[in-house]
Amino acid sequence: MINTVWGSTVKPVSSKQLAETLAAEKALEGTLYIGYPIIGTPEGSFPIDALLVSSKKGLILFNLIEGREVGQYQDEQDEAFNKMQAKLLQHQSLIHKRKLRVDIHTLTFAPALANISGHTEDGYPLCNSANLLSTIEALDNQDGDVFTSLVSVIQAISTLRRGRRRRDLKDPDSKGSKIKALEDSIANLDMQQSAAVVETFEGVQRIRGLAGSGKTTVLALKAAYLHARHPDWNIAVTFHTRSLKKQFEALITTFVLEQANAEPDWEKLRILNAWGAPGGPERAGIYYEFCKDHGVEYFDYQNAKIKFPENKEFEGACNIALESAKLITQGYDAIFVDEAQDFAPNFLLLCYELLKAPKRLVYAYDELQNLGTRSLPPMEEIFGNLPDGSPRVVLHPEEPGKPKQDIILDTCYRNSRPVLTTAHALGFGIYRSSGLVQIFENSHLWLDVGYEIARGELKDGKSVTLQRSPKSSPEWLERHSTIDDLISFEVFDSEEAQTNRLIKGICENLSTDELLPDDIIVINPDPLTTKSAVGNARRILMQQGVNSNLAGVTNSADSFSEPGTVTFTGIFRAKGNEAAMVYIINAQDCFSAFRPRDLARVRNRLFTAITRSKAWVRVLGIGPKMLQLKEEFERAKELDFRLEFRYPTEAERKEITIVNRDMSKVEKERLSQKQQSLIDLLISLESGETFIEDYPEDIVKKLEVIFNRKIRRETI
Amino acid sequence: MKSDDTLREINELTIALVGLSLSNEQNFPSTYGTKNESFEITVKNAASLTVALRNVSYRDIYESLLEAGCFNMKLLDGALVCLRYRFKGGEVIEHSLSYFPSPDLEHFQNDPEAYLSDDIYADIVSRRIVAFPIRFDFNADAGRYVDVDHPYSHLTLGQYENCRIPVCSPVTPLAFGSFILRNFYNTAFQKLSNELPESRFRFDRTISPNEQQIAHLVLTSLCSTPRN
Repeated sequence: MINTVWGSTVKPVSSKQLAETLAAEKALEGTLYIGYPIIGTPEGSFPIDALLVSSKKGLILFNLIEGREVGQYQDEQDEAFNKMQAKLLQHQSLIHKRKLRVDIHTLTFAPALANISGHTEDGYPLCNSANLLSTIEALDNQDGDVFTSLVSVIQAISTLRRGRRRRDLKDPDSKGSKIKALEDSIANLDMQQSAAVVETFEGVQRIRGLAGSGKTTVLALKAAYLHARHPDWNIAVTFHTRSLKKQFEALITTFVLEQANAEPDWEKLRILNAWGAPGGPERAGIYYEFCKDHGVEYFDYQNAKIKFPENKEFEGACNIALESAKLITQGYDAIFVDEAQDFAPNFLLLCYELLKAPKRLVYAYDELQNLGTRSLPPMEEIFGNLPDGSPRVVLHPEEPGKPKQDIILDTCYRNSRPVLTTAHALGFGIYRSSGLVQIFENSHLWLDVGYEIARGELKDGKSVTLQRSPKSSPEWLERHSTIDDLISFEVFDSEEAQTNRLIKGICENLSTDELLPDDIIVINPDPLTTKSAVGNARRILMQQGVNSNLAGVTNSADSFSEPGTVTFTGIFRAKGNEAAMVYIINAQDCFSAFRPRDLARVRNRLFTAITRSKAWVRVLGIGPKMLQLKEEFERAKELDFRLEFRYPTEAERKEITIVNRDMSKVEKERLSQKQQSLIDLLISLESGETFIEDYPEDIVKKLEVIFNRKIRRETI
Repeated sequence: MKSDDTLREINELTIALVGLSLSNEQNFPSTYGTKNESFEITVKNAASLTVALRNVSYRDIYESLLEAGCFNMKLLDGALVCLRYRFKGGEVIEHSLSYFPSPDLEHFQNDPEAYLSDDIYADIVSRRIVAFPIRFDFNADAGRYVDVDHPYSHLTLGQYENCRIPVCSPVTPLAFGSFILRNFYNTAFQKLSNELPESRFRFDRTISPNEQQIAHLVLTSLCSTPRN
């Protein structure tokens, strides 16, 4: 079977014929890349039309000819061969002494050419559909043992190795040595990720994946790939968390340097905020430019806050922009949106409107980032309908021979299985004594995000045990340390004791563990208390000569951690960032919420905090609530980090989501008014001021029914 | 010894502002020389500070200092505080104490919750504000001194070339710190002033009688010992 990865090509007809012809031959094995790779040469970028990597034949480079004009096809084969050989010679794993161990075959495919015999020259195979397979079959076979190295070189896409951290390591078993090994292992892309980079869908494409599955890397490299392939295209990359900007720049620069031997042209490939403000390119944003270019009213945050309901500021602003713009200038060839779960869907619509046909919009999102609370609607709903009522954008099922429109990255490379499963168990309240906090409406999502059913059934009302599969949570992520070292929950009786533990831990990390200060982040989950919560710890560390920074509200928000300092942060700034060692302080704030409807929100904060860790997590907290939180964790640990629970029925799910739904400001006000009336009623009845018989009988009856139903549910 | 006092005050000020979460990032001061002879207390990459004297836009000045990490403290709104002192034979001969506020609160646009959730920011998010840099400079070099026109110790506002408001004496780190907090972070100052350490020493008075005839600054009532 041939697995085809569809990149961007300027030769669509011959590419399609090539893919179809090869896919039809069941005996062939390997991966066919269309429009990939691009090789950086002193003369600029050199795109390869198509490439087949097969264990049997090694590497076959295809030159594609769309028409009937064959020309000097031999020269093109020579050139492709030479460039590819030069690229591969850089990889030690593919070389024996001075010789490349990989056979590079070249082949020209001209499907429109009926009579090829008149053009062929020996040693320069030229084919059409009739003799393609037989020509491939006749090529020399490749030694098998180099194939694995070859595949990893081809799918590595970019040498992403992070050179930032220089570690001075003496102890091979220290945490510093372990994190270095982990970082090296995840520096290269896996097959799924590299295919996702190249797969170019002519339309709206979405990428789903857990935190740590490489969405941001894939998205950045996709943008860089299209930029290298089409330097004249207008491409934009946008995102929600400011601190991602530097990361995008670094990834894109590395890739474009390698593939095109040139710096990215930042006029053509733009990395932009979503919102933006006036004041030069550094502050530019998709929404701001939309307003400016279309002469519609622009809202900055402060004005939007006055005008629109809470948490709907950006949505409101985008709505007005979309409604008031008469004729939208379609200036972009491709737009990439990261962290799409953090935007209202109409921001995606706004991006869509800015795109020229075929509207290459790629958005990446994590359905679990906010756990159950808010997920993006289906593609068909986001982009609205055509005049005839049919959706403007349709999600096509996967078809062989076509680029994928829906990409799932289900391997989590950041969090090990114990850490990730703990985050899910606590986030959903799987082992909470008073029941689930939230749940996916669609149970199938569990499988999409990399869980498998160990026992039972994933059906309403049935017991089920879910576990991470070895594929979705690779074992080497947890093998380096014991479970107790990977994640621990620690209960303290005072803030002082917690602070002392934190400081002792950090000092130990920096001395014996050989970690660097920027390997460590300390997260306080309650955004309102961060500044007062971390002051003491930072002061004491400072007195001991350990410098720290408070990731926050400065204008250098483009970067998150500072070399040489430990980062302290509230939960909002922690999003999208990661570190080897994560300390969560005051975790008791995440056990329960004063208002039941905030429960999901505080649990989500704990989830987000835990999943920032690339290796180790210490969850610290104070008092009885922390003790109960620890009990939930202990339960998960006893069950070897499996999620064992009874899947709620539809009616129960409704109850959970009703309790946890996000409410607007107005809704909240109305609710509190109603709560007050209810309290007034109760007082009045209890004091004997009024009697239940004073109230309309039918209403009392209805209330009775509702209360009974609720009581029955709770006793199940 | 005044140089020891000065160094100790810089550390106290830094640690206090860290503990109050008013400083987001900070660098330990660096020192050069020996205490009895020539002694310098400065910040890392202090060479970048010369940019502040060149004719470039304030945004560029701020950005290059930020990039070089040339500051003792970066305050919660991005303002940079740089403290440099030079001593000879135990006496202060030069200082440059500067406050460079962030030219705009760009981040406010993107992460407003972080600001609006805390009334400490009440002073800095107001739209009427024009952020401008402030420098307290002192130079004991008699060759540069011009009575009234170039006082030994002076305050420069907003990078105006000839703005040299006479100051009665060189300024200690904690006096400078409390001046900045009281005036530009007043909400925080009101809330936290009792947690700020107090300056325990003064430099000798350097202001001339003529300078006292024009608008001038008396930082504390204690700077009254005349310079000999």
